[in-house]
Amino acid sequence: MIQLDGICKSFGENEVLSSLDLSAKKGEMFVLLGSSGCGKTTALSVIAGLMKEDTGDIYMDGSRINDTPPHKRGIGFVFQNYALFPHLNIYENIEFGLKAGNKRSVRGGNTTEVKRALELVGLDGFEKRNPMKLSGGEQQRVALARAIATEPECILMDEPLSNLDAVVRERLRHEIVQLQRDIGLTSIYVTHDQVEAMTLGDRIAVLNNGRIEEAGTPEKIFYKPENEFVARFIGMKNIFEGKIAALDGDNGVLQISTGNFDLTTVFVPSSVGTRVKACVRPEEIILTKSDRDTSARSARNEITGKIVSIFPNGPLMRVLVDVEGVEMSVDITRLAARDLKLFGGDRVLLTFKATSVHVIV
Amino acid sequence: MSLSFRISLSLLAGIFFGFIAVILTCLLTATSFAEFAGEIRSPEIISAILLSLKTSIAVVFLALLFGIPAAYILATKQFKGKNILDTFVDLPIVLPPLVCGLAILIAFGGEGIFSRFNVLFTVKGIIIAQLFVASPFLIRSTKTAFESIDQDVMDAARTLGASEFYTFKKVSLPLAKSGIASGVIMTWARALGEFGATAMVAGCIPYRTETMTVGIYMHTMSGNISASIALSLILMVIAVTTLIVFKYVGTMEDCNLGTRGAAAQ
Repeated sequence: MIQLDGICKSFGENEVLSSLDLSAKKGEMFVLLGSSGCGKTTALSVIAGLMKEDTGDIYMDGSRINDTPPHKRGIGFVFQNYALFPHLNIYENIEFGLKAGNKRSVRGGNTTEVKRALELVGLDGFEKRNPMKLSGGEQQRVALARAIATEPECILMDEPLSNLDAVVRERLRHEIVQLQRDIGLTSIYVTHDQVEAMTLGDRIAVLNNGRIEEAGTPEKIFYKPENEFVARFIGMKNIFEGKIAALDGDNGVLQISTGNFDLTTVFVPSSVGTRVKACVRPEEIILTKSDRDTSARSARNEITGKIVSIFPNGPLMRVLVDVEGVEMSVDITRLAARDLKLFGGDRVLLTFKATSVHVIV
Repeated sequence: MSLSFRISLSLLAGIFFGFIAVILTCLLTATSFAEFAGEIRSPEIISAILLSLKTSIAVVFLALLFGIPAAYILATKQFKGKNILDTFVDLPIVLPPLVCGLAILIAFGGEGIFSRFNVLFTVKGIIIAQLFVASPFLIRSTKTAFESIDQDVMDAARTLGASEFYTFKKVSLPLAKSGIASGVIMTWARALGEFGATAMVAGCIPYRTETMTVGIYMHTMSGNISASIALSLILMVIAVTTLIVFKYVGTMEDCNLGTRGAAAQ
């Protein structure tokens, strides 16, 4: 288990880590999610011992390791740019850690560990190849094999897939998940990519300005964030201020203060009159032309509005709708956008379930 | 590019290339082969050649011994006064060799801080003078090579269990070897061609402190031009060879990280 207690790190006037606390449990894939410059890489460097923290404590399996040099921490590191040794072939790259750590098997001339590491990442037969001649994906596999060959207590991965193209990235992402689960290796994975965090993480911590805003399971972070920053960071576009107007058992009716409409939600963790924020993910909203029949719907929230604009959003189309002076974002498929023949100024009906409305107190 | 501009460029470049070529040709054609062969058999010339080779090779080894650690520290460590130290290392490159020689003369002379070492007018003096003037070339080149190593590669070595020394030995040095080789070539060539500081520190004593450059000076002053020309031609051959090797090392550096496909395990 890796634990950070109140880690602070500044570069001159710039405080990069601000009393950072985190804890990665044994065998779990812990993802640090954050935007560029939020201190993710610095946090990994401090854990690995490559950078000295200003204050705070680092524990590994209960032992304080602040003063342990990086080569004695037993923490593997996979870098964004692979960081393979260009003067060594693949075999020598993987063997490097075993030799440096004086692993018995290599001293005895046994190279089983190197072969096994290569087999784990699907690169057996690549022993004599030059790392610089491999594709980005293959180089990162070698880097992974090199890190796990030394059998570290924990492995740190610093955006290892961000230099790869989308197809390779997706494939390698699944391979990393599989490999990590097979070995049961405690891993801390840094990324700015929400999809990657969602796919890989047993738990995710959202980092902002050098401290953890929130940590939890992917489902919790993505669907029930506890604060507005996390909600915005993970793509909750529709965040409205309002107050609880009424409660009916677990269900609540929210009065949105910036607009003249109500939202129905389930499980409101507060009493009537409390000011709250309501969030709805853009992809949870169904958009239809308002003049069409809506009688068959089971959703508890139906609001009409006027289309402000429509623009591409990756594989989807994002529709901005003005609802009583409040702008709502809705994601629909390109096919749906074409079939509905949507134009700016059209009146549309937005429908979403009560369970899609998440409340932040 | 307009025609007149092209003509102007070609003309100016042609004049410059011609200037260099004519001067070098004058030296090459100033003696006959027989005369050259006769001169290089003379004991004094042979002694000067051997002394130059001996001192310059010693300088290279000393520069490697002290220069690599100096370059590594300058390239990888952050400390107060680093920029000042860096400038000091470079100073002998731009200072006139006579000034360097005078500084060494003062330091090792009668009242100097190192006077008890008794190096003035000795071979040790030549080595000190050449080391002082030539070693910055090795430090400069090696420092640049260390600086160009990706920090992540060094960090990767550390996280794989390598101590700082093991990382230096197995990662930094091999990756900097082309830069070190270039530095060795430049330092050796500079030491071999060193005259001003050497003459100031070791004087011009035939058979004792007479290096090739000192020999050229002495023979020219005494009117024995053919001996000067013979020594000059040898230095010229060495210079041309050095340049060729230097370029080859540069090419090797480019290829080294890209073609090492089937390195032996």
